Amino acid sequence: MEFDGTFGLDDVTTEEVWLALSDPVMIENALPGCQFLVEVDDPDDVDFEALEEAAADEENPPTLPEADPEDVAERGLVEGGHYAALVQVGVGSVKPRFETVVTIDRREFPEMDASGQGSASDSSFEMDSGMTLVETENGVDVEWWTEADVFGRVAQMGQRVINPVANRVVGRFFKQVQKELSDVGDESSGLRDRISNYI
Amino acid sequence: MGAESESESGSGVQSIDPDDVDAADILGSAIERREDPALLTGDAEYTDDIELPGMVHMTIKRSQHAHARIEDIDTSEAEAMDGVIEVFTAADLDVPGSLPTGWLLDSLEQVDHPILAEERVRYQGDALAVVVAEERYVAHDAVDRIDVDYDRLGAVVDPDEALDDDAPVVHDDAGDNVAFDWEIGDAEKTDAAFADADHVVDLDLENQLLIPNAMEPRAAVAEYNPSNDELAVHMTSQNPHLHRLLMSGVIDHPEHKLQVRAPDVGGGFGSKIHHYADEALVALAAKRHERPVKWTATRTETYLTDAQGRGHDTHAEMALSADGDILGFRVDTDANLGAYLSTFAPAVPTYLYGTLLSGQYDIPAIHCSVTGAFTNVPPVDAYRGAGRPEASFVVERMVHLAAKEVGMDPAEFRRRNFVGEFPYQTEVAVEYDSGDYEKTLDRALDILDYDALRERQREAREDGKYVGVGLSAYIEACGLAPSELAGQLGAQAGLWESGLVRFHPSGKVTAYCGTSGHGQGHDTTYAQIVANELGVDYDDVEVVEGDTDEIPQGMGTYGSRSAAVGGSALVKSSRKLVEKAKRIAAHQLEAAPEDVEFEGGDFQVAGAPDRSMHITEIATQAYLAHDMPDDMEPGLEATSFYDPDNFVFPFGLHAAVVEVDPATGEIEIERYVAVDDVGNQINPKIVEGQIHGGVAQGIGQALYEGAEYDDNGQLVTGSMQDYTVPKAEHVPEMETDSTCTPSPVNPLGVKGVGEAGTIAAPQAVVNAVCDALDVEHIDMPLKAEKVWRAANAATDGGEN
Repeated sequence: MEFDGTFGLDDVTTEEVWLALSDPVMIENALPGCQFLVEVDDPDDVDFEALEEAAADEENPPTLPEADPEDVAERGLVEGGHYAALVQVGVGSVKPRFETVVTIDRREFPEMDASGQGSASDSSFEMDSGMTLVETENGVDVEWWTEADVFGRVAQMGQRVINPVANRVVGRFFKQVQKELSDVGDESSGLRDRISNYI
Repeated sequence: MGAESESESGSGVQSIDPDDVDAADILGSAIERREDPALLTGDAEYTDDIELPGMVHMTIKRSQHAHARIEDIDTSEAEAMDGVIEVFTAADLDVPGSLPTGWLLDSLEQVDHPILAEERVRYQGDALAVVVAEERYVAHDAVDRIDVDYDRLGAVVDPDEALDDDAPVVHDDAGDNVAFDWEIGDAEKTDAAFADADHVVDLDLENQLLIPNAMEPRAAVAEYNPSNDELAVHMTSQNPHLHRLLMSGVIDHPEHKLQVRAPDVGGGFGSKIHHYADEALVALAAKRHERPVKWTATRTETYLTDAQGRGHDTHAEMALSADGDILGFRVDTDANLGAYLSTFAPAVPTYLYGTLLSGQYDIPAIHCSVTGAFTNVPPVDAYRGAGRPEASFVVERMVHLAAKEVGMDPAEFRRRNFVGEFPYQTEVAVEYDSGDYEKTLDRALDILDYDALRERQREAREDGKYVGVGLSAYIEACGLAPSELAGQLGAQAGLWESGLVRFHPSGKVTAYCGTSGHGQGHDTTYAQIVANELGVDYDDVEVVEGDTDEIPQGMGTYGSRSAAVGGSALVKSSRKLVEKAKRIAAHQLEAAPEDVEFEGGDFQVAGAPDRSMHITEIATQAYLAHDMPDDMEPGLEATSFYDPDNFVFPFGLHAAVVEVDPATGEIEIERYVAVDDVGNQINPKIVEGQIHGGVAQGIGQALYEGAEYDDNGQLVTGSMQDYTVPKAEHVPEMETDSTCTPSPVNPLGVKGVGEAGTIAAPQAVVNAVCDALDVEHIDMPLKAEKVWRAANAATDGGEN
């Protein structure tokens, strides 16, 4: 299955969006149903139960604008990095918990590619995704695409069910990103300058 | 019952209360089905209705991938759940556990078909593990907690692609994915016919995969008694005796200690003929735990695992003379067999397909070659019509194109090429028993008012409306026989049927038949047959089917065989029984048996009207046994094993009139006319009902249905929201009529009707749509987008 789209974010700079979309904490906060998103060393050996317990005990650090841009850059996605996430999404009558591992394949401002797979008890997926940030008059367009293979119970429901779910998840994610970033825009231009230092 | 006229066309058959029918007329009367009150009031007993003391529930963990190596199955979390009794996998099995193939071909590559996959799964839904739990919902929850590590492999869905050199290999033992190569007919003679032809038409066409969608999902309840080793399996079966035989081998349980019983069964359409893993697993679970075990497929499971139907990619060519004679027919088909060989899978695209390619026509040269391909979809096997719809579709689509090619009206082209003399030996092995093809054509043309219809079509076109007429002159073969021939062709079972007719001492009758009805109305029709033969009241005849403990042997219900073969077995037994009764009557009436006449239940001494006894009195006398002829045993019952001499060949002419909207691609079926000749009709109302249901299914294939998979072999039409089974609003009013050409093959003169509508309808609709748009072909299902594209390519003056 292929999905793609463009999401316009107003009153932001490419650098701000880049930093925000590079922040695992921001992504975790913005992604509907995401229990945690953390960097892991070995993508083939992830103990999701331990990570889930750890995530439950810990409070997430602040994101921009409260966070120090230096901290955000420090914890940001890196090319070749592997990230584990537990994501629960309602698809039709089922609500699978996907144990997901994503690898950042390419990261060249303002473009990023990632690949990953997720598995639940009765369903799984494999995907390749990418995004490009394009400066516009009002702000930034995030052009994104995903090619996904879906397996099991979720696949059986077909695109009739999956497409609206994917659109809903992506829509909510970017809306949340927009909300957080508009706070960044409200801050003094000093923060903007500091952010651009970390690109 | 009021006798209101049933439909405006006046073609509906009115059902009758059996009490209003004279005994002499019971055979052939459209009496109400005696099975309906229980089905309508909820008194019917389906497998899932069975509740037994101490019963536990079973669910099956199924592969989420269409093709993968199994690296690990972790059942620990499921086993730890409260209420879970056991989780077992292939590693825990100590029985043969491999499903057999019931029809072998010379070139067949037989592959192992384990009831639980151990190292590799080959279709989405392949069984991996079994959960047995105290509660049904616990069993379902536990299945989701089984963790399977897969190493996913490439999958192949389409039979053509499976035969490519670089296709993923489904079975290592069949590295080219070829299950068999098969041919029928005379290749050289056919080549010569094409060399002499004035015209040749050719076409690539697909007969899409279909999902059977019986109303009742498959289910089984098994109970085991360890003290006597008796195992009973109540299941949704079309053929309990066959399931008993096959299952006894699969689970290594003695056949004579295994009972298979089909309670009421909510439809099958072929999907409940085959021996699946699931029912064997239920039986094994019951033995492992010595408790009754129930499994009922979810609708999702039926979509994933019921054997599918059709799945042909075909190239066909027809050679024609300048004046419209069919000279030769060449057909090359790749048949999708799915991931494993299901019970009768090899027979369906071969002997049930290639042998029907002469259709209703006198074709002097035919050659057909079929390659069966393994793919990563569920096993493909018999589905209502089984091979014959595929054949009729190819023949009738080609005849439609051929008529156009030689510039003849399609009705007249058919008439010119019809077989006229019977019996008729085709070029593809079978001999047609009887027929009168012009008669059904003429009747249908008359109902359609064909000439006026063609005139209206021309006028409509001038008004920018696209009206089309599609004809389908179908033939089918029912009551596969005889067993000796079937054996030569590879059948691993006989094709006879057994029937036992038993008088009780009180004069009541029970008839037992080895067929196993699942909606066809056998209780009614068999009682009509036996009441007629014995001259007893219809209400005094009870019919028993579907239980291996009650019925001596049997072959089940499929292939429209029950009336022709099962009904004939009951006739044979009834006649044996009457012979014995006649000798008892003669003895007690002090006459010679040859002087005793039998009519309407009375044995009467010829020329002495006051010396007679009714057969029910004889029954009492036979059990009293106080005054029997010398050397005659007491009792009055007879068993027969009836093995017909030949198939029977029903036929008919179906026609669809459609209007297509080229702006939207939408199709409206304005009229549907079905004229069928199924030989003598035991119950015209039941015949009509079978035609209605069959046509609805055929229209479903033509317009709506189709199993679709993505490139990974994932079913994307896995629910009733994604796979369109036609609903009432999708099915037009049908105008049905019939002619009657009795079969000389069996004593009832019947031919079979269970599949006729499904065989006839798809090409009637497709021919009509192609006629409306004047396009060569559109592959089924004729969804609006495809039709729109074809219509717009055609109106732009391009090829479709």
